[in-house]
Amino acid sequence: MNLKDMFKKTNTRAHYIALRHSRPEVPSGLLRKCNKCGAAIIAGDVKNGYYICPKCHGYFRVHAYRRFEMIADEGSFEEWDKEMDFVNPLDFPGYEEKIAHLKERTNLNEAVVTGKVTINGSPAVMAVCDGRFMMASMGHIVGEKITRAVERATEEKLPVIIFACSGGARMQEGIVSLMQMAKTSAALKRHSDAGQLYISVLTDPTTGGVTASFAMLGDIILAEPKALIGFAGPRVIEQTIGQKLPKGFQRSEFLLEHGFIDRIVEREEQKEVLSHILKMHSAEAGMVSEAGMNSEVGMNSEAGAGQEHMESAAQESADSTRQENPELPQECAGSARQESADGAQQEGSMPAWERVQRSRGKERPVGTDYIDALFTGFTEFHGDRYFKDDHAIVGGIARFHGIPVTVIAQAKGRTTKENLDRNFSMPSPDGYRKALRLMKQAEKFKRPVICFVDTPGAFCGLEAEERGQGEAIARNLYELSGLKVPVLSVVIGEGGSGGALAMAVADEVWMLENAIYSVLSPEGFASILWKDSKRASEAAEVMKLTAGDLKELGVIEQVIPEPEVFTAETMSGVCSDLDDRIAGFIQTYTAMDASALTEKRYARFRQI
Amino acid sequence: MIGKILIANRGEIAVRIIRACREMGIGTVAVYSEADRDALHAQLADEAVCIGPAPSSESYLNMQNIISATVISGADAIHPGFGFLSENSRFAELCEQCNITFIGPKSQVIQSLGNKSEARNTMIKAGVPVIPGSREPVFDAKTGADIAGEIGYPVIVKAALGGGGKGMRVAQTPDEFENSFNTAQKEAQMAFGDNTMYIEHFVEHPRHIEFQILADEHGNVIHLGERDCSIQRNHQKMIEESPSVALTPALREKMGEAAVKAAKAAHYTNAGTIEFLLEKNGNFYFMEMNTRIQVEHPVTEWVTGIDLVKEQIRIADGRELSCRQEDVHITGHAIECRINAENPAKNFRPSPGTITDMYLPGGKGVRIDSAIYSGYTVPPYYDSMLAKLIVHAKNRSEAIRKMRSALGEVIIEGIDTNVDYQYEILNHPDFISGDIDIEFIGHMSEQNQCREESE
Repeated sequence: MNLKDMFKKTNTRAHYIALRHSRPEVPSGLLRKCNKCGAAIIAGDVKNGYYICPKCHGYFRVHAYRRFEMIADEGSFEEWDKEMDFVNPLDFPGYEEKIAHLKERTNLNEAVVTGKVTINGSPAVMAVCDGRFMMASMGHIVGEKITRAVERATEEKLPVIIFACSGGARMQEGIVSLMQMAKTSAALKRHSDAGQLYISVLTDPTTGGVTASFAMLGDIILAEPKALIGFAGPRVIEQTIGQKLPKGFQRSEFLLEHGFIDRIVEREEQKEVLSHILKMHSAEAGMVSEAGMNSEVGMNSEAGAGQEHMESAAQESADSTRQENPELPQECAGSARQESADGAQQEGSMPAWERVQRSRGKERPVGTDYIDALFTGFTEFHGDRYFKDDHAIVGGIARFHGIPVTVIAQAKGRTTKENLDRNFSMPSPDGYRKALRLMKQAEKFKRPVICFVDTPGAFCGLEAEERGQGEAIARNLYELSGLKVPVLSVVIGEGGSGGALAMAVADEVWMLENAIYSVLSPEGFASILWKDSKRASEAAEVMKLTAGDLKELGVIEQVIPEPEVFTAETMSGVCSDLDDRIAGFIQTYTAMDASALTEKRYARFRQI
Repeated sequence: MIGKILIANRGEIAVRIIRACREMGIGTVAVYSEADRDALHAQLADEAVCIGPAPSSESYLNMQNIISATVISGADAIHPGFGFLSENSRFAELCEQCNITFIGPKSQVIQSLGNKSEARNTMIKAGVPVIPGSREPVFDAKTGADIAGEIGYPVIVKAALGGGGKGMRVAQTPDEFENSFNTAQKEAQMAFGDNTMYIEHFVEHPRHIEFQILADEHGNVIHLGERDCSIQRNHQKMIEESPSVALTPALREKMGEAAVKAAKAAHYTNAGTIEFLLEKNGNFYFMEMNTRIQVEHPVTEWVTGIDLVKEQIRIADGRELSCRQEDVHITGHAIECRINAENPAKNFRPSPGTITDMYLPGGKGVRIDSAIYSGYTVPPYYDSMLAKLIVHAKNRSEAIRKMRSALGEVIIEGIDTNVDYQYEILNHPDFISGDIDIEFIGHMSEQNQCREESE
């Protein structure tokens, strides 16, 4: 039945006599239109909701002082250099009036606000650009305020957080504006050389000279979702090349994929994420340093007496191990479980080929399983800062028994879909470069590095060669040999050739009982030597690729026994074993100073 | 000024409000989602405005669009009905900011009554009984036993993080307490990793008794008697009646006074409902206050003769209540059955679809509030209630007979309904004798299951 126009509208003229007389009216400012999705939204909801559109979840730009409110602990913000004198280096006509007008309109002195804050109690120096002020372009005052803030952070040994947002250099200030790029970068270099942390947070839009200076120099670079980030603006590029740019080009997600940012962080989580990272880098974080690294600091300063003792103790313990095991001079002193592992090894007379198959087993725990089981507060960092974020390698910072460490794992997937995403754990050059970047970061912040090796081999493909697979692996061997923090590598599955070695130039290399580590896959070995890849099982026997064989050869230090059925569900025994052993490793090696550490690592490979 | 009301709702309640407005000579504006173009409320109103796509989050819950529709259509008041935005203090506040009369209490009142602990404290202060319980967390059985003694047995021990019946134990007597407490705490520790416990009085086999309140802006507050809503399934009411067989005139007066006190303490205006749990021994406890017109309001309308929706509009317009407490008399007995598009045999799964044919009963003492018609398609996006069948008779047993007769005449073809299930309840000996509590439906399903199995 269609009811359209069937009913009598009896009430064409209202006759109720109302007592109240009022005219509905939406007060101005109550409703706003989202400039992204066009929906009408309640202004109050936006203000109370991190300046995010409740409809399309688009991000509105945030005023600098609001940003401090969102991130800093209440009442902790102490502003620096609030009033700066106007400068007009080129005597640019009309510039002074324009600035005066903006000052009045925005209540800002310039396009950046700097100062000191605490974030969940952790102190930091923070600078925030405000796009309302000439699109936060960088002129002398912006550059100067940032530089001063960074210098003071260096002096006061504080981390720096900069929320970038900018159209680039300030045209009205010409070449002086260009020089701010150099000035801010130089200040950050000194801050970094002093061992301090810099976190850059990129917001919409970060472009031009700001991208090409302080914005991209963070030890850790975070970004807000969908922010425009690039050097040349999209319009300029389109005009230059005469082509339309693809959707999502130069957005945060694009940069993440291309290896330039560590993480995209939603506004709601920014305070927590920043506070977590700060705590992981704070002096009280209980770094490696307790013993060994402190000694390095100690040497530079006056302390000194007790520390010599510490060093010699470490030396002694290493010596004594050497005597007990003359064949294995680089044995870890702290490994009490050594014998039990050996025992397991002798009992099992499993054919090597069987172990090869187990090492490749689909049910076998993967790198990320170990990260989940052994560490807390894992924060993944992405990208090599050159070209890509390689998902075959997962890396970041985490705590082990409360101590900050850098964890890097070659990660097979748990499912086919994950495996496709992770390229079956065959890293590209970008993956090795990401690993190296994280290792260098660990070195700067004096964290031990723990690597989990599990790869059939480095990725073999066109793009890998184009971007220098060989160079990337070589660079890792070169740099790792001299890394000034303890490095431990655990081969958990397949240790495929150079692809594995690029993460295993370590102070100690351990293997799970049924992991393998070899110069080539048994199939490849058989086909090269005997022109018959079907003889892989035979090859496996002669290649000496099992954990037991390699321990005998002195290539690895420890063998970790596995249960008969080894899956993510049954891995708790192995994990608690590993947990004890890693604790021993960290205790032993963090007690050594950097030169003893690298000397010993050198000797380890030198004698093979 | 109330010259034109926008009804921010759909279904039978929108129709109900439109009818009241029409009788009062007030213009009406319906709002509808894209799925409700052919809905009865959109056809009946003087004007109708589409406010968004089918999902209610984008239409009937879209505050901005509803406010815009109000301003554009020139309406000066909004009736929110029940559900959707009716108890949303933010929406009421927006109306206040935009100079739109919200037909309901003030946003501030909605907010403070919506906050459980704040509402509880308000009631304690006003001397309205609440379920006695420990306000401080309890960690050991000995302290717990002392508190339980003060509260009065039976008591229930509840995990702070509890849910799904885990970490919950009842102790009938002091002897049982230690054991119950320790078991519940152990369970809580296992299930939630937390052993924080609370203790409160255990209300055994309660009835759900609610009191209808009317309050104007001049300080007049009256109650219109109670509704017994004990027949409910998963907290969804199925049958409501007034008066309740469990209330003596003395108890009615006592509970009514408490309800009025509660409304006054909350500075309540407009129509509202105070929910109580009533124990067999006559003790009753405040549960919560509903700050809107309710689905089951017709049973009260029938036994009191007061049109609650019209009264709501008058109150919102600043008028005094049309009657005083002494003018309120409960006459006869009214029962309401909710007719839903659902299949009781398939765990009450909703059954949207097109109504191919239908016939609804009438006659003396039978009222139907619905928004369905032959050929109407029940959309899958919203509540499954199709109609409310309300009967009124001299006394309860006559009302039950009238309801059975009326249910027998309900014909709705094309979709599944719960009509037969309702008929079954109306024939259940416990329902007929009035021996019901909020566990009635649970017991009835168990009995049915046993019967099926033995067959």
